[in-house]
Amino acid sequence: MNNFFRFLIILLPIIIFAFFGKVLLIDEDTKFSSFNTKNFPLFELNDLNGSPVKYESLNGIKLVNVWASWCITCLVEHPFLTKLSSSNIQIVGLNYKDSADKANIWLQKNGNPYVFSIYDPRGDLAFDLGVTGAPESYLIINNQVLASIQGEMTQKKWETIFLPLIQKASKSS
Amino acid sequence: MMRNFFLVIFFLILSIYSFGEIVYQFEDSAQEKRFYTLISEIRCPKCTSGSIASSDAPVSRDLKNKVYELIITGSSDDEIKKYVSDRFGNFSDYRPAFEGANYILWFAPFIFFFLMIVIFLYKQRF
Repeated sequence: MNNFFRFLIILLPIIIFAFFGKVLLIDEDTKFSSFNTKNFPLFELNDLNGSPVKYESLNGIKLVNVWASWCITCLVEHPFLTKLSSSNIQIVGLNYKDSADKANIWLQKNGNPYVFSIYDPRGDLAFDLGVTGAPESYLIINNQVLASIQGEMTQKKWETIFLPLIQKASKSS
Repeated sequence: MMRNFFLVIFFLILSIYSFGEIVYQFEDSAQEKRFYTLISEIRCPKCTSGSIASSDAPVSRDLKNKVYELIITGSSDDEIKKYVSDRFGNFSDYRPAFEGANYILWFAPFIFFFLMIVIFLYKQRF
């Protein structure tokens, strides 16, 4: 019996060490945070050109990307979004706490990967969606919010979090 | 010279007020108490660990304003917490709900404590 405890004394720290090592080494980029699927919140907002956005325009598979002209990281992820938009992914912009003028200038300057951008100057829709800040991206399939990525969107995050869900959805339909 | 000195001091004293927080007006002290309890129990979605009371991130400011608005319009504490967790997920509640996987969270300390006692007693016998 004494041997058993001696064994335990050696084994236990190893297990604890491995456990915390594992926790610390989890790749933040690919960690899939538990996300409660919910319906895309209802809203009454215009796009950046001033015409009302219809809720139905979010049907199908859409990537909703929260951005603003004041957001620096948005500029960093912009090339990747442009690449995505050219590969048949429909990206809807959610212009967050910005002014329409500045936003339009920003799009002219940096290119526009968005099908259209919802203009949300007070961040009302963003609040209902649970946006914590820009940039942030949501995967919407048939008006259901399935997953979110906080911060910069990268190839890796796209492939590990969003792409499998899109493939699953297109297989079942 | 002296006049300028006092002017500088005056503006320095004044500058403190520009850092002031938004003051929330309540109908009674019970509402105020609820407000401050709630904002210390709602986790800031943008911070690693901290309540929205301790955070000045834009999203925390929005959340505080929303909690204030909901208190004034007569929502209960549970309704407000549900309102927030519907939008920002279970992560937002500093007191995890008593359900599902959260049982591990609630009971793990007691299980470990119990195990420790068992092992201790077991060892005493040999």
